[in-house]
Amino acid sequence: MRRFLLAFAGLAVVLLALPIVGLLQRMPWSSLPDLLGDDVTLDALRVSLVVSLVAALVVLVLGTPLAWALGRTDLPGRRIVRALVVLPMVLPPVVGGAALLFALGRRGLIGQWLDRWFGLTLPFTLTGAIVAATFVALPFYVIAVEGALRTARREIDDLEGVASTLGAPPLTVLRRITLPRLLPAMGAGLALAWARALGEFGATITFAGNLPGRTQTLPLATFLALQSEPERALALSLVMLAVALAVLLPLRDRWLPGR
Amino acid sequence: MSALSLAGMTRMGDLRLDVDLVVEPDETVAVLGPNGAGKTSLLRLLAGLLSLDSGALAIGGATVDEPGTGAFLPPHLRRVGWVPQDRLLFPHLTVAGNVGFGPGVDADRVAGLLDALGLTGLAYRRPDECSGGQAQRVALARALATDPVVLLLDEPSAALDVESRHLINGVLTAAEAPATLLVTHDPVEAATLADRLVVLENGAVSQAGSPREVRSRPKTRYVASLAGLNLLEATASGTVAVTALGTRVVLAEPAEGPVHLVVPPTAVALHRSAPDGSPRNVWQAGVTDLQPAFERIRVVLDGPLPVVAEVTPAAVEELGLRVGSEVWAAVKATEVACHAI
Repeated sequence: MRRFLLAFAGLAVVLLALPIVGLLQRMPWSSLPDLLGDDVTLDALRVSLVVSLVAALVVLVLGTPLAWALGRTDLPGRRIVRALVVLPMVLPPVVGGAALLFALGRRGLIGQWLDRWFGLTLPFTLTGAIVAATFVALPFYVIAVEGALRTARREIDDLEGVASTLGAPPLTVLRRITLPRLLPAMGAGLALAWARALGEFGATITFAGNLPGRTQTLPLATFLALQSEPERALALSLVMLAVALAVLLPLRDRWLPGR
Repeated sequence: MSALSLAGMTRMGDLRLDVDLVVEPDETVAVLGPNGAGKTSLLRLLAGLLSLDSGALAIGGATVDEPGTGAFLPPHLRRVGWVPQDRLLFPHLTVAGNVGFGPGVDADRVAGLLDALGLTGLAYRRPDECSGGQAQRVALARALATDPVVLLLDEPSAALDVESRHLINGVLTAAEAPATLLVTHDPVEAATLADRLVVLENGAVSQAGSPREVRSRPKTRYVASLAGLNLLEATASGTVAVTALGTRVVLAEPAEGPVHLVVPPTAVALHRSAPDGSPRNVWQAGVTDLQPAFERIRVVLDGPLPVVAEVTPAAVEELGLRVGSEVWAAVKATEVACHAI
């Protein structure tokens, strides 16, 4: 029994490790500086960083109050909203992109009014790419922070109570007690959301297109390069692998406890 | 001007808390009650974390909660120091950071309190590196640092080590200590720390008075069973303790130094003549009072060990007990609980 389990576990490890090995084995190390330094790569890197960082900021600003409303209030309809929050995680990203197009496109439900009243067009723009990335990334942050708020709700209530009896007004309590207590969960949630935004492909290409220098992110550029210039695809993949590791390393204590 | 005065009612779920309570400056009042009586809710109400449905609450002479007039002062504007049962130290701050948390608490005040409570060496430790007794001292120092008008203690010496108990008692009995309200389910803790006892049962005060009054005239079954315990101060050396009156009491377990001896009234056996047998504490006493307490009679004794015995009416009949009678009293060594002070 034990041997069978170990065999299958080993198979899983091979499945996870093999693609990375394959990627590194084919890496054109000598031409790497040229590939990474040219305009296509740099443009894609710039678009990717702008899209993912702005999306992370929006996630922080909108997601924190949402996590608070779900985790610390007894508002009606929380169950429905909670299901809605998880939806982008289970929805195929292409479907998400199409849905965004029907809602925010120039003929869409809201999009036609945005276009008519504000002259604001989202599809096939950098802003559209940011909206798509925010849509898919938001759940990761909200779930992490709401979970921390809910499991520690009693403790946070009590700590806030003590702080207030010591003479701290509500804003001081928020700044010196509540936020520091939630900081680890917020950091982890934000890192995951940002990584998800950086890797976003389906919703972006559906809603924002693939315009070099404007909406072409690293994943899109990689997919395109695979068909004509495999070496560039490898180089772009290396950039994203490095970014993924940079996010994973600070989180390893959370995910690999009891080392 | 009272440090605290409450006459009011509030509801929380199934519990209806309806309490009249006054704490004078320099006074320590213990609210004694079983689990679920509303003790912790009472403290939260006083701190401003819960509010009254009717009545009024004043702290330091100023009304802080009066639904009739709409007056309500939030916790941070009330001058109370709350020491919760589970301490609730701020986990991300050091010991010194916890004690100095309150706005306006300066470094000298923090240093003075750390010193008074034997915490100076722990100033830069995190709460999770403190023992239970140390954490309790930090929580007390943190509450005292803001100079409260009234200190609210929730089960203050539950599971404390001797050193912590000693340091905390020292600070609480110091001249500059604020008025103190402590809630506890432990009658020994209540009787040793408090000038006055208030018994809380099912959200209402069932009895109030000095520990001696409450002990000698219990009004409810709960008080009779708990607050009716005999408490004697003594100094232990090995398996013998000597009381303030110079009486030797044999203990089952060895102890050293100042102790409280706790003897349940039902453990005091009364006899017409000197009993013989196993290692016992036996003495001759006079009956000073007889009080009915439900199906039992409480017999108040004087003599070398002034305690209360609780016996059946049949025993009183059989022994012919009345005020002024002389009896022999006996307590087994194993019935004497010994608590280090």
